Amino acid sequence: MLAEKYQDHIADLLARYPVKRSALLPLLNLAQKEEGYVSESAMKEIAEILDLTPPQVYETATFYTMFNMNPIGKFHVQICKSLMCGLVGSDPLIQWVQQRLGVGPGQTTSDRLFTLSVVECLGSCGTGPMMQVNDDYYERLSEERVGRIFDELKETGNSSLKSGPFMVPEPISR
Amino acid sequence: MAESNNQDLVTLTVDGMTTSVPQGTLVIEAARQVGVMIPHFCYHPKLTPDANCRMCLVEIEKLPRLQTSCSTKVAEGMVVKSNVPHVDEARKSVLEFILANHPLDCPVCDQGGRCDLQDFSHQYTPTTSRFTELKRVFPKEYFSPLIETQMNRCVQCMRCVRYCDQVMDVKALAPSGRGTLTEIKHFSAHELDCEFCGGCVQICPVGAITSRLSMYDFRPWMLKRTDTICTYCGDGCHITIQKKQDELIEVNSTQGVGRNNGDLCARGFFGYHASVHPDRIMHPLIKQQDGRFAQATWEEALELVAEKFQGIKTAFGGNAFGGLVTSRCTNEELYLFQKFMRGVLGSNRVDSSARFGHVNGTLPLLSVQGTHRWTATFEDIVDADALLLIGTNITETNPITGLKVKQAVKQGHAILVTMESLLPARGTISNITLLATHHLPVRPDHYHIAIVGLIKSVLDNGLVDPGLETRAPEFFRAIKAAIDSTSWAHIEEVSGVSREVFSQSAHAFSSSTRGMIIVGQGVLRSPRGAEMVTNLLDFLILTGRHGQPGCGLCPLAEENNDQGAIEMGATAEFLPGPIAIGHHDTRQALSKLWEVDLPQEPASSLMEMFRDAQAGQVKAMYIVGENPVESLPQTGKIKEALESLEFLVCQELFLTETAQLADVVLPACSYVEKDGTFTNTEGMVQPVRQAIDPIGESRPDWEIFSALSVVMDQPMEYGEARDIFKEIRSVIPGYGLVGPVATRPTPKVDVVQQYLQEGFAHGLATRYVCTQDQPASDTPFLLASTQSLFHSGKFSTRSKGLLQIQSSGAIMLNPSDAKKLGIASGDSVCVSNAHGAVTTIARVLNRIPPDVACFPEHFDQDIRCLFELHIDKESHVPYSKLTWVRLERVEKGDV
Amino acid sequence: MPTHEKILLKNMDQPGYTGSLKDYEAVGGYQALRRVMKELAPADLIDIVKQSGLRGRGGAGFPTGVKWSFIPKDYTGPKYLCCNADESEPGTFKDRQLMERDPHQVLEGIAIACQAIGAETAYIYIRGEFRLGAKILEHAIDEARQARYLGENVLSSGVPIQVYVHAGAGAYICGEETALLESLEGKRGMPRVKPPFPATHGLYQKPTVVNNVETLANLPHIVTRGADWFASIGSPPKSTGTRIFCLSGHVKQPGNYEVPMGITFRELIYEHAGGMRGEKPLKAFIPGGASASFLTEAHLDVKLDFESVAQAGSMLGSGGVTVMEEGTSMVWAALRLMEFFYHESCGKCTPCREGSSWLVQVLQRIVDRRGRMEDLQVLADLCQNIVGRTVCAFGDAEIAPIVGTLQYWRNEYEDLIRESTAISTTSKELPVLALNS
Ligand SMILES: Cc1cc2nc3c(=O)[nH]c(=O)nc-3n(C[C@H](O)[C@H](O)[C@H](O)COP(=O)(O)O)c2cc1C
Ligand code: SF4
Ligand code: FES
Repeated sequence: MLAEKYQDHIADLLARYPVKRSALLPLLNLAQKEEGYVSESAMKEIAEILDLTPPQVYETATFYTMFNMNPIGKFHVQICKSLMCGLVGSDPLIQWVQQRLGVGPGQTTSDRLFTLSVVECLGSCGTGPMMQVNDDYYERLSEERVGRIFDELKETGNSSLKSGPFMVPEPISR
Repeated sequence: MAESNNQDLVTLTVDGMTTSVPQGTLVIEAARQVGVMIPHFCYHPKLTPDANCRMCLVEIEKLPRLQTSCSTKVAEGMVVKSNVPHVDEARKSVLEFILANHPLDCPVCDQGGRCDLQDFSHQYTPTTSRFTELKRVFPKEYFSPLIETQMNRCVQCMRCVRYCDQVMDVKALAPSGRGTLTEIKHFSAHELDCEFCGGCVQICPVGAITSRLSMYDFRPWMLKRTDTICTYCGDGCHITIQKKQDELIEVNSTQGVGRNNGDLCARGFFGYHASVHPDRIMHPLIKQQDGRFAQATWEEALELVAEKFQGIKTAFGGNAFGGLVTSRCTNEELYLFQKFMRGVLGSNRVDSSARFGHVNGTLPLLSVQGTHRWTATFEDIVDADALLLIGTNITETNPITGLKVKQAVKQGHAILVTMESLLPARGTISNITLLATHHLPVRPDHYHIAIVGLIKSVLDNGLVDPGLETRAPEFFRAIKAAIDSTSWAHIEEVSGVSREVFSQSAHAFSSSTRGMIIVGQGVLRSPRGAEMVTNLLDFLILTGRHGQPGCGLCPLAEENNDQGAIEMGATAEFLPGPIAIGHHDTRQALSKLWEVDLPQEPASSLMEMFRDAQAGQVKAMYIVGENPVESLPQTGKIKEALESLEFLVCQELFLTETAQLADVVLPACSYVEKDGTFTNTEGMVQPVRQAIDPIGESRPDWEIFSALSVVMDQPMEYGEARDIFKEIRSVIPGYGLVGPVATRPTPKVDVVQQYLQEGFAHGLATRYVCTQDQPASDTPFLLASTQSLFHSGKFSTRSKGLLQIQSSGAIMLNPSDAKKLGIASGDSVCVSNAHGAVTTIARVLNRIPPDVACFPEHFDQDIRCLFELHIDKESHVPYSKLTWVRLERVEKGDV
Repeated sequence: MPTHEKILLKNMDQPGYTGSLKDYEAVGGYQALRRVMKELAPADLIDIVKQSGLRGRGGAGFPTGVKWSFIPKDYTGPKYLCCNADESEPGTFKDRQLMERDPHQVLEGIAIACQAIGAETAYIYIRGEFRLGAKILEHAIDEARQARYLGENVLSSGVPIQVYVHAGAGAYICGEETALLESLEGKRGMPRVKPPFPATHGLYQKPTVVNNVETLANLPHIVTRGADWFASIGSPPKSTGTRIFCLSGHVKQPGNYEVPMGITFRELIYEHAGGMRGEKPLKAFIPGGASASFLTEAHLDVKLDFESVAQAGSMLGSGGVTVMEEGTSMVWAALRLMEFFYHESCGKCTPCREGSSWLVQVLQRIVDRRGRMEDLQVLADLCQNIVGRTVCAFGDAEIAPIVGTLQYWRNEYEDLIRESTAISTTSKELPVLALNS
């Protein structure tokens, strides 16, 4: 139950908008963070909090591709395949990742660690190929780097290779 | 609708034709007015334009691109072209796009033959398509028992979704996904749970949403249509019954027609099978020695009835007869019934189901303002700037009046004050209290004191109409004194509503210029109903709204012709008109017209008849379409009363509990098998038309009355229903000048004057006195017998469509009470009090207030034993809607 | 390489600059806001921005001061500013850098814009994937609140300015300003029919301005250094100031380059971004994000300003410049972008919704060597039937890749189709019939 666990956070969110429904995306985000996906019970609860009908929550949730409507693995690997990444080699990389993980797009590894998605532009076109794993961006990918990232994630749940505050090209050191 | 004056007109040219239309008109509507039909899918006059289909593109001079005529408003001097090649080509291309993903399954589509897409395609596109790619295919999902979706056919105009939200306020439909793969769903994979108004089926321009009740049964051109009026509530919706041969196929409604303007509720849309239920009585029945019924011919049955009636009349006089008729009958039948009772049998014991509550509205209206009718119309609701709804879960009782209220609030931004027991919680059925600007949550037995609170706020906050005190000093002082005897502390404690909320609500209402009060069954069918209505009229007078344009107090009729029953003289206190039974001139006129002497004995109403039957004074009863044995609690001893009769005739569709006691049962027609008129809650007289042949040997009620009178040698002969209507109009001059808009009677000045001078004093000693019924500690729950959106009386419980939505009753209670009692939805629960104990299923619902339990009256056969019967001393209304009970869980339900 | 003074990327170019409030204040941050709160009447502020010639950096290039002036002057109810940080146009990644590296510059711009239009609340609508950016902004807002640059009583002026970060959840269309508003209201991000425009009926039907991150980030500098200074930069009078161009694709040094408008593509690509990554020469480039039509090496000397690029048959758009080398299949490139548009069409308008699904399938077929010569006419016709007939500009955008590539590289389409001759040109082999039979 989100309402109990995140009482203050929800109150803070609701206070930001003059109309309750505006808190819908933030609450769906919260629900997804909690369970890894947007469950039916979460949608019903959100409907109650925002004074909406469950179908109203559902129609909004299904419009946005970031909301998983079904459970996924621990790490959601989303690789960009749009033109700009495509120009610098995202296609072979995606092939490689499929082999490495042994799953196709939309599938989850049997250990439920990785779910692979092939997605459209994530706004990192100058540093492709790139991917997002959960909240973090990983850029200028190569097979070797992706391999390391997966290994680190598996071992520690984190990876040192994630991108920091973005700046490309890097500041010229004088 | 606001009338526009000349300054607001805008002149424009459409395809060379110049026209003037009110400012704000959409180009598509302006074009329609000059006969230019612009093709469209997503546009619908009831909905805010969404301009998504792009079918209605037109050229507008001086604007760069083609514009959507459905969303563009007219402007002075605008030049619109819809017949240029450029526009034609754009339409073709839009159709080509739509057809790209549209299956060519017209031969198996129920919309085939009346499909906008089919029609426009025929008009605009070649038969071959350049689209050779994959069409999207949605996996079939079960949507609901009554509504079928075929999403491959969807053109994504979102009319269904917008209707469900904007008009119905239900918000049950969800477009899920994005882009071309968007499909209309409910909630995830769950089947549809909503009001089942059928609006989505009706508004879909293609065959993406259809009714399952008649799926694949027909092709539109096989259907024969009959325009008539729905029988399920007092709103009086215009419906079109579609039949194939004599089989009822479907019901629809047409935008722009009737009081409902194309909207319906579940009962109207899905309830049409009740009439053709296999249990219909097919032949006259005569009770044998052994107590069983034997089939008889009409001659035998009528002769038997005539002989018995004659015998009793000769032996005991007319006063030995009692007559009860259902308000579901047409005006013609109601009129003829009372004429038969008064004129042929010579009895003043006549009553109808309007007695169950509607008279509580009519009587006070008549005595305070001289007209028993609404002084406002549905249009006035839409145009109101303040609406006060009291004791009405309007969506479930009078759904279409409810839509007008929704429209007033959602589109007209009217202030809405609700005084209602149901809590403003969201559910699968829309809840009018959710739209309220001010909501006064009041337990069903506390409306009286809450109304007193409202009036006290008006007086205490100086909200009284400034001129009133000088105009009607006695009235003002008397009411003030009567109100002052109840303290705020008492009001707040009993009603549970704070003084603050009362005064905010009173402020909101009295600051309006077009303020209406709509009163529902919670008031009309509960003790002191007539007093409450009188007090509300006082409220209207005090706030200066009484008699003002667009203002008035409007009681909601529960049954389709409650209003007609009163106007036709089918209640004890009224002759047709309604004119008081003792009115000398009217009696004379009627005597002359009917060529009889009217009975002199005092009139007696429903409960008095039963009382006198048990006392042996009433020897015979003629009961038409009513089932008092079922509808009144056992404590009323109705069955005993009927059993003590010498002779009972029932005229019925079904062999009800009451009919089973009859000596003769005469099979009557339902509303789909006859002609006539109904008068709706706002006083609109509307034509009812025969759609199918009578079932079995059944005959319209009026025909039976007429036939019986002939056999009794006092003929009331009419060739058709219309002849009776002519007679009604000679009795009630101008009755039912049928037009598209209801008339707005105004209060009679002399009557109001009389009321303000002295009339108010009648009953004043008691009507402001607040009493309080304390629950006994062992029966802490107030059990209310309530109405459901999906049924109407018990007639609709014979409709296979409605039974699929709701097939049984359940005791509904609030989550916190349920938690306390350890009860969950689906559990078996024992409901009991001193009168008995009944086990039923529980349903936990947010909208039920604490300490209250509700049970739908349509399924109350078993639970009715727990209710007591109270009879109003003044209006003689029998009340049996509230009782005190305790609840215990018996068994866990399967989830 | 000619050096130009950077304006927006200047701070973050300083070694050790972290974007913290301290760092920002150290380089003169929030002085402009002080001036705005103390000395400048909103009307004067709007005039300054009008005079500066600043045009929106979100794509359409609408003059910012003029947009502000559409807000009804005497309106007393709530008004809103929405900072468009949706940055979803493929090829664009500048706003991300502005937000992650110098968040206070953006916030100061937001506060100034709020003051100009009389908004007390601003929402930063940031694309959902930018988790880090959102976090950095949230932190910066906290800092600014504590220092009273934001909050109940900004700089003791009595004026409240509340700024909230509102994350999207994966929908390119929410960058379109009215879709953004719908999304902010918790609905499906479907563009609204205009009129009415956001300036009068925006967020919650209240007067609203939507401005891009980069647009807003320019404001502190215009206030501090004056309209004339700004108007003298770039390619006056119509394209003033600098722009951050996002270089991607086959260049040696992809990344964000802030240059004055009016330099040529040649300069940008060969001098700033280091030229092509390998031996192969430039074949094509997209001048302004995925929605801008492709240009060829023949257009390298076109100037980077709104008018010149439009004249060349494309648009400056979002500033995303994607470079493609010789050997890149233009049909494939068009397909890739079309897949994007198909995926992102909100589905509201028939032509855009059905057209994108149709176009993507035809292109895929051609790339799969299952094309037919008639397809080229179908492609051209469909594009013609979409453009100008939709609610929002997405419809115009989605056809750009096809129109451009068909115009300059029709031969590549034809070659692919010729390779398909092995396959029957009747539609018999197409899956749609297999389905129906
Ligand atoms: C399909 C579509 C997508 C857009 N995406 C963005 C976007 O991601 N970021 C942005 O700032 N503007 C985007 N825009 C432009 C906005 O609608 C709007 O013009 C802009 O935010 C206004 O800000 P500006 O005047 O500062 O440029 C988009 C427009 C369209 C039609
Ligand atoms: S043009 Fe496309 S994206 Fe824009 S509103 Fe129409 S369907 Fe949606
Ligand atoms: S009817 Fe105008 S766009 Fe659909």
